Amino acid sequence: MKYLTHSSHSIMIDKELCTGCVVCTLACPVQAIRVRDGKAEVNKSELCIDCGECLRVCPEQAVKSMTLHAEDLTGYKVLVALPSPALYAQFGDLYTPNDILLALRKIGFHKVCDLALNCEMVLIAIGEYLRSHTAVRPMLSNFCPAVTRLILKNYPKLIDHIIPIETPREIAADQMRRKIMRERGIESGEIGVFHITPCPAKMISITDPVGVEKSNLDGAIAIRDLYVRLRKALKEIEDDWILQKSSGVGISWATGQASMRGLPSMTSLSVTGVGDVIQILDDVEAEHLGDVDYLELSICPGGCVGGPLVVQNKHVAASHIANLVEQYGVRSRVDPRKIERQLEQTYLLDQKKFLPQEPEPLDTDLTRALEKMAKIEEYRSLLPGRQCGACGAPSCEALAEDIVKGEAHLSDCIFERIKELEHALEGDRGGVESGDPE
Amino acid sequence: MFKKVFRVEGGNFQKAGSVSKQIKKILKQLNLDGELIWRAMIIAYEAEINAVLYAHECQVSLEITAEKIYMRFKDKGPGIPDISLAMTEGYSTATRAMRERGFGAGLGLPNIRKTSDHFEITSTVGVGTTLDIDLFLN
Repeated sequence: MKYLTHSSHSIMIDKELCTGCVVCTLACPVQAIRVRDGKAEVNKSELCIDCGECLRVCPEQAVKSMTLHAEDLTGYKVLVALPSPALYAQFGDLYTPNDILLALRKIGFHKVCDLALNCEMVLIAIGEYLRSHTAVRPMLSNFCPAVTRLILKNYPKLIDHIIPIETPREIAADQMRRKIMRERGIESGEIGVFHITPCPAKMISITDPVGVEKSNLDGAIAIRDLYVRLRKALKEIEDDWILQKSSGVGISWATGQASMRGLPSMTSLSVTGVGDVIQILDDVEAEHLGDVDYLELSICPGGCVGGPLVVQNKHVAASHIANLVEQYGVRSRVDPRKIERQLEQTYLLDQKKFLPQEPEPLDTDLTRALEKMAKIEEYRSLLPGRQCGACGAPSCEALAEDIVKGEAHLSDCIFERIKELEHALEGDRGGVESGDPE
Repeated sequence: MFKKVFRVEGGNFQKAGSVSKQIKKILKQLNLDGELIWRAMIIAYEAEINAVLYAHECQVSLEITAEKIYMRFKDKGPGIPDISLAMTEGYSTATRAMRERGFGAGLGLPNIRKTSDHFEITSTVGVGTTLDIDLFLN
């Protein structure tokens, strides 16, 4: 098999392209990757949060996204596209969001949804929820699947902080599906609903969602895989339908800053990038941010426009988003009374039941776990602390852990091997010297 | 028994919180109860921040047995002249610069005591302060 796939993850590693260089191993923020027998693998699959850092940094492009391609969209009577607002930032200031939605129709989607509008609906619902529920603070956003997985795996104490409002893409998918079924009298299975995504994590949130049996979507397609066709289609648009209904509020979801514009009466923070997200979750866990109402968290730096599957430079994209926000203003056309009604009917409430997904402990027996922990310390003190990754583990501490778990050997450390060689050489030299006439 | 010693550098905000993070990781790997881990982390974090704010340096000893988690924070620093005052909620000697960084609400020591199962503090002015903390596993 050419690919090493990870059934429950959003990436796969092409064994032929992988050179075993450890760049991904060192970049992985949760230390889930190991290089074994010269090839990288998501060895600690239970630690992986699907952030896509490995895909971003791989110099050989051996890490592939599990997102779908145009040829995968067969067998459906109606194809629906739900584009991430980040798509609006990919083509420069020349094309409006409406043009881009029309271009999606032109390349073959029968129905196109302005997902930015659903983002506005969800923001109003979040505002309502925050106003009526004040016991837990800060509440944490749930739209980034990698952030949700990070919380379930590393911050189970914060599960109650995840905002229980359904994500814009799931709401939009449900609404579009019902509408089309009603209008055309067809079955749900005949409708294919696809997210046009800036990141691979959205794919896993569809194929293997957490806290719920099934997603309302059928898959995700990378922005970069549709880029060329969309660019061509943009030049050939003839229709003048109005498909865009969103304002700048929903569009600014793309840079992870929608709460600042859409929740003016709340104290909210926008935090983007995996390192910063981890840092702020540490602060929340230590109960240091109780005066903040809402944290809008994106694992990608700069928000979704910084996703690993986009085309445009994230800074250029952020500037396009800022221009669009200015152009379309921050007055949403969504009627708040309608959202209140939907909340009352629990329609917008997220029904997911999140459970902690904590990694396996060293041992279920405490005495044995303590012994193993002491052994890890012992090995760690033996190792050189260079954190070079040459052994295939991301740090000396990680190698020490792997050794104790029986997954690696001390001799995997290149510096240990040099020591062994030196010992052996000294032994040899000793033998030679004794017989040397000089 | 598992033992580990860490060092906290006074005034180094860049690394503030890193020791409590390492402690949290160890406790998690030992499969201890989530609530207990969280309490240990709150204590370690508060004590570590105190050391960064006030001490020259601080030695953190962590000992875990089947019965308890023991943590000792032994710092070299100015010491505390009036311990009972320092244990009062809301009392703080934090400077303006510290408060501007979001610290110095006067909740550190009282919070540590509240969160511990057993808490002892000794301090000598001009020498330093030592905190001894127990968290029982059952």
